[in-house]
Amino acid sequence: MAGSVASFDEASSSVVVSATDVTKRYTRGTEPGVLGRLLGRQSPPTVCAVDSASLEVRTEEIVGLAGPSGSGKSTLLHLLAGLERPTDGTVTFRGTDLASLSRRERTRHRLEHIGIVFQQFHLLDSLSARANVALPLVETGVGKRERRRRATDLLERVGLGDRITHRPRELSGGEQQRVAIARALITDPELVIADEPTGELDTEAGRTVLQEFERVAENRAVVLASHDRETLELCDRLLRLRDGSVVDQSPPGGSQ
Amino acid sequence: MSGRYRRLMTRQFTRLWTAGRLTIAQFRDQKVRLSLAVLGVTLAVLAITLLAGAGVGVLETGEQQFQTADRDLWVTSGDTRLTTAGGGGFENTLYDSRNLSAEMESHDGVALAAPLAFETVYVSTDGSDDFQTFVGTGIPGSGSSIQVTDGNALEGDPYYANGTYDGEMTREVLIDAETARSLGVSVGDTVNIGGSLAAARENEFTVVGISPTFERMLGTPTVTMPLSELHQVTGNTRTEPATFLAITVEDDARIEAVKQDLAEEYPEYEIRSNQEQLEAVLQEQVVLLAAGGTLVVVAIGAGVALTFSLLSLVIYQQRPTFAALTVQGVSPPLLLMTVIGQGLLIGLLGGGLGILLTPPAVVALNRLATAVVGFDGLIQTAPWIYALALAIAMGIGSVAAVVAGWRVSQTPPLEVLS
Repeated sequence: MAGSVASFDEASSSVVVSATDVTKRYTRGTEPGVLGRLLGRQSPPTVCAVDSASLEVRTEEIVGLAGPSGSGKSTLLHLLAGLERPTDGTVTFRGTDLASLSRRERTRHRLEHIGIVFQQFHLLDSLSARANVALPLVETGVGKRERRRRATDLLERVGLGDRITHRPRELSGGEQQRVAIARALITDPELVIADEPTGELDTEAGRTVLQEFERVAENRAVVLASHDRETLELCDRLLRLRDGSVVDQSPPGGSQ
Repeated sequence: MSGRYRRLMTRQFTRLWTAGRLTIAQFRDQKVRLSLAVLGVTLAVLAITLLAGAGVGVLETGEQQFQTADRDLWVTSGDTRLTTAGGGGFENTLYDSRNLSAEMESHDGVALAAPLAFETVYVSTDGSDDFQTFVGTGIPGSGSSIQVTDGNALEGDPYYANGTYDGEMTREVLIDAETARSLGVSVGDTVNIGGSLAAARENEFTVVGISPTFERMLGTPTVTMPLSELHQVTGNTRTEPATFLAITVEDDARIEAVKQDLAEEYPEYEIRSNQEQLEAVLQEQVVLLAAGGTLVVVAIGAGVALTFSLLSLVIYQQRPTFAALTVQGVSPPLLLMTVIGQGLLIGLLGGGLGILLTPPAVVALNRLATAVVGFDGLIQTAPWIYALALAIAMGIGSVAAVVAGWRVSQTPPLEVLS
């Protein structure tokens, strides 16, 4: 299946992000210098984290990435988010090749178009839930009152309207993850990517968070990487990865 | 264009404001660690202000003493070294001081040349064997520059009798208040004084007055008597050693010209102005000065190291969150500003606290110095010392923050998050 384009067949939805024959290799160690080469030091070995993977993700679609640890799920997410440049192949976002953007432009691109949710919530303990959610808006030049209003609205939407002034350590794991989701949505991104979003949560909290993702996908694209079966069942489409390659794509209930 | 510029400025201001709020929030959240960093800077600032204050105090006290002495030139032979023997004092390396002073006094432009000697002597009261050591000061006459607060001045030095040592010994002595307290004597009482215990048992003196002059000059309790009588009781009538010759020039003479003439005529002696003499005395204390300077450098280094390590710890803990925010699109400058803000706040609080604690510390140390070495106001601060200390404190915080912030910014966010 490597090299094939995995597409969602709903014609009305437009492609938000696509990866075409994307490969990502990492070097283990550093290249030898002049002296090292003279002394006969060999180039370090490389490891292929993603191998010729292709996919398209459309608006209102939830795509799941499944596979064992080290199969390349997180790397593929990073490539789609523009956090890393592919060694080969292209990643385009609304037709723009992300590799053509400078580091600064990619940072700005993520701020404006992509929301990211991590397994660990990575909230600032010193700030309230609302301040954590509002923080990315500082970079967009939105005024203080508007930042607070949007953050409060989002926290209410994720069911934390009565927790806006609480510090992260005063919240449960599920609540913290919902704050992290609200933070990812604060700039109204077109694509939300989530790496093991329920990995740190118990079953009940995980379900609440997944409901949020269903709502999130109402007007945007979502890509989830997870080991968790219940999380993956939420997805419209599932890509299974092994050793960096897409080995299967199917609806969640399809072939394993 | 102007609208774009305004938007850019607004964004920068918002970033700065947010960084400030984040800084304060982080401070509230990490009270213990950041307070320790503040304490480190406070101690560094205290070390700087007190050591610099001691330097200023020594210079000012020294200048004051030379002004009080009301002399123009100082003649010494070799180093004017403080000796630690007995009760302390200067080494007496200028021999045959009587003849030398007479020669110099006959020189054009010289109004007065007076030898001064400081010797360690044993002192007891009422012939008891309970001896204490003091600096015995020998002066050639009574002199108006000797301040007497109680009783009378010395009558003069008739015993010398033009070098014959067969005149009448006055057996009068001036002591300072500290010596009086220490011996439990007052004006009119009798004390035994000598360069050796045997000599002290044989020589009785009457306390005729209380004088703070030489105690202030040397910073140690003293007994002051005619020079010839000091030489007599210390067994030095043959060599007549002195620590200095203090010269007063005639009113119409130029100090520099007289100094030049004397230097040409007496190349074997060092002839210095008040300022030069003070500097010479201080240069002899080069090890002490170097130790003080080293302490300041060490204090600053320790402040930087402590602030850096504690700030690094705090930032290390925040690295995943900062990385997550960077991944989210929050620009590294905002996070860097937060780190630098924490460093600056540590510097400002530590510096401010150090400056606030300096005055009471100066008072306490001055009391201690007065009790131990006898000098009043040995540590003196000045506005520039406070300004310097605050600047160094801010520097400590900034350097530590920039280094810590730089290390954070150099770490790829995915490396932290993976």
